[in-house]
Amino acid sequence: MIYLDSAATSFRKPESVRRAMDGALARLSSPGRGGYPAAMRAADMCWLCRESAGGMFGCEPMSVVFTSNATHGLNIAINSVVPRGGRVVVSGYEHNAVTRPLAARSAIISVASAPLFDNAAILERFRRLLPGADACVCTHVSNVFGWILPIYEIAGMCADYGVPLVVDASQSAGTLPVDMRSLGARFAAMPGHKGLHGPQGTGLLLCSGEAEPLICGGTGSMSASPNMPDFLPDRLEAGTHNMPGIAGLKAGLDFVKRLTPERILRHEQRLRARLERELNAMPGLEVFGGGGAAQAGVLSVRSSALDSEVIAERLGRRGVAVRAGLHCAPLAHESEGTLRGGTVRFSFSPFNSEAEIMRTSQIMRDILIKS
Amino acid sequence: MSYYLLMCRSLTYAQRLARELEKYGIGSSVTRGPQNAGTGCSYGVKISERRLGDALRAAKNAGMDPLRVYLNDSSGLFREVSV
Repeated sequence: MIYLDSAATSFRKPESVRRAMDGALARLSSPGRGGYPAAMRAADMCWLCRESAGGMFGCEPMSVVFTSNATHGLNIAINSVVPRGGRVVVSGYEHNAVTRPLAARSAIISVASAPLFDNAAILERFRRLLPGADACVCTHVSNVFGWILPIYEIAGMCADYGVPLVVDASQSAGTLPVDMRSLGARFAAMPGHKGLHGPQGTGLLLCSGEAEPLICGGTGSMSASPNMPDFLPDRLEAGTHNMPGIAGLKAGLDFVKRLTPERILRHEQRLRARLERELNAMPGLEVFGGGGAAQAGVLSVRSSALDSEVIAERLGRRGVAVRAGLHCAPLAHESEGTLRGGTVRFSFSPFNSEAEIMRTSQIMRDILIKS
Repeated sequence: MSYYLLMCRSLTYAQRLARELEKYGIGSSVTRGPQNAGTGCSYGVKISERRLGDALRAAKNAGMDPLRVYLNDSSGLFREVSV
């Protein structure tokens, strides 16, 4: 299989992730639940993972909270900073993981929309909308079009206007610098199972302020109190930890550190640019590229002749895994005029090769010719 | 053998304190605390008797004063000590 759906989940994991998860099942019990060796080994693994993530993302290990995915983290962040009915500024490229929790809080959503890859235009929109807002929630990279938004400039504006910022780093963690100190963000949420190459069911929430727990329960600390602890990470980590997941995530972080996010990004952008060139030459295909350095390893296309789902299904039958449709981000499609029909999305990982890209473009050509 | 236990408000705090002590060359290990510490389940950092002063100074420098300090002597019982 040629796997080109890493924006959803990086399916091909490093071997070290598999080994770490196997080892965790054999050797780790539950942290904070006992003082015996298996519990303390689990506690050590949690700490090492927090320390590794803190080093990569510019924050203290204590501020690294384990979640089950980015959506989980975004829900905590949004519930912590957005007052009911408050006004929130978002980019026009947000995922439902942002817009649905905002809708659940009856937030008034101000959308900073701009043409794809036009950084100056989107910054101008944010500049106009931020004054007086209760919060800003912004994706770092569009999961549909791969646009790398100017998040540090947006963060600077949020600081100027005193608006708390939540960063959705779902598509950037592991390939782009996400530095909490430089961003000054209140929260940044990320999955463990995409660019960090950990297993599904893992995620991280980086916190720099007060946070409201989404669920309450046992934490292995302050057990005599009826209330959740008022300190991190315990405040946000009720219940038993996903130890195989955390061990796998730690191995994934190590893998990214070894390769370096810069090299991973370069590799993925090179593959994206290659496929973009090939697909641009195919008649009847609209390619949402041209972003250059402002476009990560994500490429969307649509055909005037074939439905997106049909293309994805035919690619799948010939061994190429891609995603079609709205990619859980209707707002992004609304911004680009692709809401009707959606797009076919190709997204890359360090495990993809140029040969796979050439094979994919050949198959795409066959599919389009036969339509 | 007797040792001191520097109590922390959580397991993760104890882990962080152990890391801080490591920077000062103070050997330590994270362990469960006595149930009579008053907060329910708790964790602390175990250090040798002779390093208490160094450990408290290191903790203070890191802004991590322990909640309580216990001495566990050869009887196996914890006795809170004032520092």
